[in-house]
Amino acid sequence: MSAVDYDVIVVGAGFGGPVAAKRCAEAGLSTLILERASTPGQKVISSCTIPFYGFLFGPQWIRDGDPPIERPITGIRNFFVRDGKVYATDNSFRVPGPLANRLAIGYTVYCRPFCTWLAERAVEAGAELRTSVAAVDVIMESGAVKGVVTDGGEELRCRLLIDAEGVQNILARKAGIRKTYRPEAVELCLLYDFKMAKEDIDRICGYQIEYYWAMPEEKIIAPLGEGSAVYIFPYRESIHMTIGRFLKGEEGVPVLAKELDAYYRRFFQVDRWREMYAPRTELRARIWDTCPIYAGLYQDMRSMPTFGDGVLLIGDAAGLEAAAIADGVPSAWFSAEMAAETAIEALRAGDTGASFLSRYQRRLEEHPLIPALISDTHRRDLAWARWSGDEAEMRRRVNQGWGIRLMGHLALPVLRAVYREMRRDPRVLKNWLDMFNRYHRLYA
Amino acid sequence: MEETLRFEDIPGVEWVPSPRPFITIDASKCTGCGNCLRVCLAGVFRLREKKAEVASLERCMECASCLFVCESGAVDFGWPVGGTGYRSEWG
Ligand SMILES: Cc1cc2nc3c(=O)[nH]c(=O)nc-3n(C[C@H](O)[C@H](O)[C@H](O)COP(=O)(O)OP(=O)(O)OC[C@H]3O[C@@H](n4cnc5c(N)ncnc54)[C@H](O)[C@@H]3O)c2cc1C
Repeated sequence: MSAVDYDVIVVGAGFGGPVAAKRCAEAGLSTLILERASTPGQKVISSCTIPFYGFLFGPQWIRDGDPPIERPITGIRNFFVRDGKVYATDNSFRVPGPLANRLAIGYTVYCRPFCTWLAERAVEAGAELRTSVAAVDVIMESGAVKGVVTDGGEELRCRLLIDAEGVQNILARKAGIRKTYRPEAVELCLLYDFKMAKEDIDRICGYQIEYYWAMPEEKIIAPLGEGSAVYIFPYRESIHMTIGRFLKGEEGVPVLAKELDAYYRRFFQVDRWREMYAPRTELRARIWDTCPIYAGLYQDMRSMPTFGDGVLLIGDAAGLEAAAIADGVPSAWFSAEMAAETAIEALRAGDTGASFLSRYQRRLEEHPLIPALISDTHRRDLAWARWSGDEAEMRRRVNQGWGIRLMGHLALPVLRAVYREMRRDPRVLKNWLDMFNRYHRLYA
Repeated sequence: MEETLRFEDIPGVEWVPSPRPFITIDASKCTGCGNCLRVCLAGVFRLREKKAEVASLERCMECASCLFVCESGAVDFGWPVGGTGYRSEWG
């Protein structure tokens, strides 16, 4: 057997990788993080509102730390558009008035500062971070992953690989563990970032994210079920806007450059945008990326393994994005911690074989939130409203998925997670409240 | 100073050109279906004699849409050399 360079190599310093690396390093494992960008997060594109459950049930050190958050989010405002005008609003999902200064349903963040902050914490814990290095292949010996090959041709050997490379799955495919996500499961999102004065954002968006929904003839979004709403997420002194469409729909593979631009052009004519936003915003960035949002809805995608001999997959690489709410950061964090825990046990036991590592997949399946999030069909089922051509049906379904009735299906998994944490340590309740307060101060 | 590229229609992003190409097309597998051209927002591909080919990687944001829609497995998608390719402060 050849010597190893590290106990654990983590590929990717996005949202998941540093969380796994920190935990491994704290357990005394020699841990290397490889990141192909020159700065962590510079190649991560996201909308990005991280829901509260990521912070409550994710890594304690994020919860109790001072991460670079942009703005607390206290609710969702759904706008319904017809003939270029907002004709109805559903803002039933929000923190009730008196608590809105204390609680939040999520926080917006920029990926570069946030992932940099995460990676710095991993390095503080003893992990080594190498940036500007892409892992281009895996070292395989008798069917087991033994390390990676870098783009500089260097062979780095490890006892266990944690693959946090995101949606493209290059290494996991090379290791023969996964295949590419099917195009019906992957959404391409085109994102605009606008500068906007804080006072204007406070007055117009406040602390709520905005979704704009419409029937297909309006042409401001992809056909219902085959894309997202138009999202506007308020940051500190900017807003993020996203329109997305799956790479394949009922009519095959769309001409996305044309379609997405056309949606934006039409949306910029909608009365609310024209009157409230257009005079007060200045375009700063135009960026795009893919996310495997429906991976959990297709049996063949969902049943792909999340581990192999010598390797564990986390986050987008493991297909853990939420199919309706479209958040992937919480599951990246949850899976990162479970993968690290499994890695620590495996190295202690001296067994990194697939059968030992299979406990990781079991943990994912038994997690109180992950299975519920990745199998939520509300977004895809919006297609029923399109097929029926009934606007009332669209509003009813939006209310179920992004209005107050969201509580109906989110409450149980969240309560299960609360119960699990409280049973471990009842004082966690105080930590949660402290977190909301501290984040509020971080923002102010 | 490293050489960086910017484009007026894609503000907020800069590119350090990769010294090696990172997306290639296996002409023997390509069926000329054009899916890669349809989904690419960066104009990376063109069709020539009923086969797709890489025209320019200059604006590629490494999203891999081309990989996901290629049914014949002709698109080989890899990463630009570490530290190169696109980067943005606003993701
Ligand atoms: C447009 C868009 C909007 C989104 N909105 C939200 C949202 O509002 N809320 C939310 O919670 N989630 C959202 N998501 C999803 C979220 O961004 C992802 O789920 C999350 O980033 C996944 O984390 P990860 O660690 O698995 O992968 P990533 O964060 O993508 O990190 C992967 C990292 O690995 C690096 N890397 C990859 N391959 C290699 C290699 N071979 N060698 C070295 N480095 C490598 C990459 O450069 C990157 O830094 C959104 C995604 C998109 C695209």
